Amino acid sequence: MNLLARLRSWLKWMMERPRLEKEMETEVRFHIESYAEDLVRSGLSKQEAMRRARVEFGNIESHKDAVRASLGLRLWDELWSDLGFALRIMQRNPGFTLVAVLSLAIGIGVNSALFSVADALVLRPLSVSRPDEVVTVVGKSPSDPLGGISYPDYADIRDRSKSFDGLVAFTTTAFGFAARPGELPQMKTGMLVSGNLFRAMGVEPELGRGFRPEEDQVPGRDAVVVLGHDFWGTQLGEDGAILGRTVLLNGIEFTVIGVAPERFTGMDQLLRPTLYVPLMMAPRLDANPARNLLEQRDDRGLEVKGRLKSGVSLARAQAELVTMAKGLERAYPVTNKDQSVAVMTELQARIARDSPDSGMVAMLMALAAVVLLVACANLASLLLSRARARTREIAIRLALGAGRMRLVRQLMAESVVVALAGGAVSLLFADAGAAFLSRIRIPTDLPLVLSIKLDQRALLFGLAASLLSAVLFGLVPALQASRTDLVSALKSADADNSGRQRLWGRKALVVAQVALSLVLMVVATLLFRGFHSILAGGPGFRTDHLVMMSFDPKLVRYSDQQVQQFYKQLADRARSSLGVKSVALTQVIPLAPNQQVENIVPEGFQLPKDRTSAAVFADSVDVGFFETMAVPILRGRSFLESDTAGAPLVAVVNEALAWHYWPNQDAIGKRFRLNDNKGPWVGIVGIAKTGKYLWVGEGPTPYLYLPLAQHPQPRMTLVAQSFGDDPSLVASLREMVRKLDANQPVYDVRTMSDFYQMRAVSVPMMINEVVGAMGLIGMLLALVGLYGLMAYSVARRTREIGIRMAIGGDRGSVVRMVLRQGFNLALTGLAIGLVASFAAETGVNAIFSSTRRDPLAYLIVAPTLLAVTMFAAWVPARRASRVDPTSTLRYE
Amino acid sequence: MDRQMDLLQGTLDMLILKAVSLGPLHGYGVLLRIQQISGEQLEVQQGSLYPALYRLEHQGWIVSEWGESDNKRKAKFYRLTAAGRRRLHFETEKWNRMASLIAVILRTTSEEI
Repeated sequence: MNLLARLRSWLKWMMERPRLEKEMETEVRFHIESYAEDLVRSGLSKQEAMRRARVEFGNIESHKDAVRASLGLRLWDELWSDLGFALRIMQRNPGFTLVAVLSLAIGIGVNSALFSVADALVLRPLSVSRPDEVVTVVGKSPSDPLGGISYPDYADIRDRSKSFDGLVAFTTTAFGFAARPGELPQMKTGMLVSGNLFRAMGVEPELGRGFRPEEDQVPGRDAVVVLGHDFWGTQLGEDGAILGRTVLLNGIEFTVIGVAPERFTGMDQLLRPTLYVPLMMAPRLDANPARNLLEQRDDRGLEVKGRLKSGVSLARAQAELVTMAKGLERAYPVTNKDQSVAVMTELQARIARDSPDSGMVAMLMALAAVVLLVACANLASLLLSRARARTREIAIRLALGAGRMRLVRQLMAESVVVALAGGAVSLLFADAGAAFLSRIRIPTDLPLVLSIKLDQRALLFGLAASLLSAVLFGLVPALQASRTDLVSALKSADADNSGRQRLWGRKALVVAQVALSLVLMVVATLLFRGFHSILAGGPGFRTDHLVMMSFDPKLVRYSDQQVQQFYKQLADRARSSLGVKSVALTQVIPLAPNQQVENIVPEGFQLPKDRTSAAVFADSVDVGFFETMAVPILRGRSFLESDTAGAPLVAVVNEALAWHYWPNQDAIGKRFRLNDNKGPWVGIVGIAKTGKYLWVGEGPTPYLYLPLAQHPQPRMTLVAQSFGDDPSLVASLREMVRKLDANQPVYDVRTMSDFYQMRAVSVPMMINEVVGAMGLIGMLLALVGLYGLMAYSVARRTREIGIRMAIGGDRGSVVRMVLRQGFNLALTGLAIGLVASFAAETGVNAIFSSTRRDPLAYLIVAPTLLAVTMFAAWVPARRASRVDPTSTLRYE
Repeated sequence: MDRQMDLLQGTLDMLILKAVSLGPLHGYGVLLRIQQISGEQLEVQQGSLYPALYRLEHQGWIVSEWGESDNKRKAKFYRLTAAGRRRLHFETEKWNRMASLIAVILRTTSEEI
């Protein structure tokens, strides 16, 4: 009730403390003097009056203290003095401070840097307002648990659902963009969006306006476009006069009505759309008049997200939508058979869609957490030994009546100060780490941006990590220190009666450090060797002397026939170009992010009960593909010119597919239906060697090749094998395309070796470097921990060692004694670490889809770590052997 | 000294509020006023007056300002606020209820049970 008054008064005291303290002084003096005057008036002498007045007033300082306590100032004062004390203690022990702060700084820095990667890849919320309310709706069917939604289904759900404050749909599409007529169109990736997208997501355009409700009503009528901020800046120089201007998209005139704000970077964490167009324009933009995504209920290409109404839970929305999907299934049994939906949070959807990325991120974060644990063990260990050294001080203070909580608070203040200092220094490491990691580039012309940065979120994460380590690893030593047994602590000469127990704590910490750093190093070695053997094995296709360029003639509104004609001419002319050895056309490039999926129903194969077809990765390729890409055909034949559209449908499958669906049989001559159990039969004519299709670490993945002539595609990539000179071949091929059609946009022009390097080699190499660095850091921190403990224990036993040597022990035996102690600790740590590593290997193997164990990794790491830890023990051991018996014994 | 009563725990606040409700007073004045109205029967530990005064000000029940005392010196005067007046009223009610209740209990004889 009077909280406000108290807060105001507290703040006043905070701001004007010196003045108010002085006023308090004046007030008290006035009281005493007034009283003294009254006493004089009653007949006392002046001196006697003053004396009485003072006595009757009582202890001035303790009354003032009571005043401060009643104002809530004492806690503050104590905290303040705790911090000051902590700083002084740290200053007086620079060695301790340096080791503790640096250990923590490295540990936290590694974590913050990796957090920034995790954030960029998986964690960062959508750039919309109140992103936590936005959920993803995916289509669920027996063949695809993470499918899209068709426009008619979306519209039905949007209009009837009561769970959402705005349900939006969108899809990523390529546009042929030209700023003015006559200009060569460029391939740009933008989004077709439902008209309510900006409103529902709370995105206010920076310039102009978003879509009006009526612009989302009539198919093909409202040719309006909102530009993405990045695109507006880089391509149009932030031209403010762009509003109302006409631009060409796929040859159609669109009016620019707005520019999205800078903070809105699209509807997922990586792709930054260049422009936004109402979904109603989809039929006009699509060159294929037969395809109308607005009306085809089985064209499930849209992503759907919605803002949950406040108070509606995910489960309730899910239940409502599943019921609606059942209704749709009843109403449209042909198109919606077995079609359901699932509602998930943004994070769930991302993890489900990018499970390899998420898995890798989770592994890296786990390793980083291990590094932090090792670092924190150093802090805890140092605090434990410091607490021991201060046993006497603490005992005296307790004896003088200090409260235990007060002492714990003071000791905690020290660890908090150390942790915060560590957190501050960690920024240096984190910044360097983030700069290193932001070299990761996604190799494509698509506007994919992996924005790794040390932003507010990463800094907050670092702060939280520092404080958490301070609390976790400072509290136990502090509590233990305050539990000192007064009498014996004060009596004993070196105040170390509970030293044994404390040393036990430190030993346990060092054992844990050795164990954890062994895990780190084993994992690093496993990853290194794993990637190495994968890259040495190659991707299963040629990576040298190939140049590639991609086309989408639909962007310049070619008809289907023109598209086929274009590709035929393109391949023919390329084949006869100078410097070209062979040529191929392919829908996708292996390891590229845009892999295609086909559904097949293999003959004679029992599909899982809830499935009617199996989804496999697939590619449409021409007759030159296998030779140009050097993908060996193991049995049967490759595609031939005679496999035309009219000829019987054929396919080449890889060994993995053949083995999966027809184990122990010859797959050649077997058949499958394409799409579903009413689809056309396709006969298998050849078996290709299994390669890598999604990423280099994958296990054998079934793959299907279809002849281009029987499955024509609009977007294709031309692959040309050169005799040696890639750059000049690129130039001559570009020239050739220009002669063929000067308006044809060409994109993703690059050599296969660059592509392979970026896509397959650089990221694993970087992960190797990161994990390797973490292994080394972990080892270093453990080294510091072990060294610290041994040095400390040797210092404590100086007298004992002196006596041993005085009664005839030689230096060797002293060294051996200390080494043995270190050896026991290291060995215990190694044993525990080996068990833990063995478990961790299962996790690492999951990344490589392998189950093979790699004993060599252990054989490399364990002895190395043992040698290093023995070195850490040897240095103090040698110092111990130099102890001069006479001087130590004379001490005291 | 025997005739003087020590203050019951928690009643000092109420007495201070009552004292300043009769007009602004400085700290020493509050002491004198309490002693005066109690007919010198109450013993207030002089120094403990101040933590109480600051606490009441902290709660927003009294406010202080510097002024001049009778002996022409700078002194800090306390005045009751509206919230303080409500508080005094509340405390008085509570005290009276409590006092009559205790009185009833203490008056009880064995026949009445």
